[in-house]
Amino acid sequence: METPNAPNFGAPAPPGTAVDLNRQLAALLERIAGGDQASFAEFYRLTSRRVFGMARRVLIDPELSEDTTQEVFLQVWQNAAKFDPASGSPLAWLMTISHRRAVDKVRSSQSSTDREAKYGASSQDIDHDSVSDEVGSRLEAEAVVRCLETLTETQQESVRLAYYGGLTYREVAEKLNAAVPTIKSRIRDGLIRLKTCLGVS
Amino acid sequence: MTDTNDAHGRQLPRAFAADISTDLTAGRAVELAEVYALDAVSDAERAAIEAYVSAAPEAERQAFHERVRQARETLATTFTAEEEPPADLFDRIVAQLPAHSADVSAPAAPAAPPPVTDQLSAARERRDVRRRSAGMRNWLIGVAAAAVIALGGVGVGAYVANQNDPLTQVLQAQDVRQATVEVSGGGTAIVSIAPSKDALVVRMKDVPPPPEGKVYQMWLIPKDGTSPVSQGLMDAEALSRPAVVKGIHSAAALGITVEPAGGSTAPTLPTVAAATLNA
Repeated sequence: METPNAPNFGAPAPPGTAVDLNRQLAALLERIAGGDQASFAEFYRLTSRRVFGMARRVLIDPELSEDTTQEVFLQVWQNAAKFDPASGSPLAWLMTISHRRAVDKVRSSQSSTDREAKYGASSQDIDHDSVSDEVGSRLEAEAVVRCLETLTETQQESVRLAYYGGLTYREVAEKLNAAVPTIKSRIRDGLIRLKTCLGVS
Repeated sequence: MTDTNDAHGRQLPRAFAADISTDLTAGRAVELAEVYALDAVSDAERAAIEAYVSAAPEAERQAFHERVRQARETLATTFTAEEEPPADLFDRIVAQLPAHSADVSAPAAPAAPPPVTDQLSAARERRDVRRRSAGMRNWLIGVAAAAVIALGGVGVGAYVANQNDPLTQVLQAQDVRQATVEVSGGGTAIVSIAPSKDALVVRMKDVPPPPEGKVYQMWLIPKDGTSPVSQGLMDAEALSRPAVVKGIHSAAALGITVEPAGGSTAPTLPTVAAATLNA
């Protein structure tokens, strides 16, 4: 099957796939590190929908989501030189920065009432709602849907609440009325199962 | 509390405890990689995990980072919600861009990966032009050979209580990153570098005390090719405590040598440990 995040960015890849995107992003990051604004603009064009989309899911509030997106891209500009291909794909690097920012913000700046309202919203959401015309990207989307189905419902729920809800494992346990160690196991086992199914190497 | 999440109802050896510190003590750091990658821990727990991993044996540290990497790839592949940001957001970002520090003298990060080698060879060239000192060249070559920089991209965070002491400021800095360097003679030096604080922290792990009548001496090797500057001595007792080194923005590398008690004015080669700073 397709391995969307194989580290070999040099291999030919169909346009629209994650491998193709990552290869572009890696090249752009190198130039951004040298201060190239045009490359920064292109990087933004290719990834801002992802960053903002994730921030909106986690934070709900549009202004906070914009602030987060802004901070993320400033960080990209400043830290492009620190991107190390050996420690992951550019997209994973970017989304790691983004998620961490969004989570920091949601935990510090939103009242518990807001967050309570938000859990409800995000737990309803589907995971893969980006629609693309690119065949490669559609295949990847289908793989994700198929692989998510290999998780138990409780594993899916725990991973999703942590990712889009910005919850700690403890908060997930509270929300689901489950034992704390159980939630840690669900997250671990769920992500490992997903990784295996998606062929992440 | 025990974990009964196993499909067969057995208690797994990997079973989690309720709290992170018990998991770490019980040797389950690697099993926490997914929870960590998902940011599903509090700041204090994240810091505890990072502190544990940074000081863990090589194999365990690598296993942890590998699992974190895979979990992050998995998350980036799985959660792909997209939404168009406001049209003017990019212009707002560009308006805030700080001047990019492409020039070598600036303290911020230089060119793309791996910058370490370029910076070193540039420093070596400058140095060779200035003074044909075999000793200095050897020093730099030693640095290049010994440096094992692990750019984790994650902070070490808060596990020291006092918020205001220099040690805590470095370890909690937003931009702190870590290098683990082998010390010849045994053990490792864990170097936490915080360019924003213009400082780093050195922690020795499993490093044997210096020989009788000797001390360890720390040096900063300036980028401009001038002589290494002593940053202080470490005797057997001081080895167990973290050491803060300030003024790193003008330094290309940190080196540690063995010197006679009382220290030397110039390093005695070879270094027992060295880390390029890229600060």
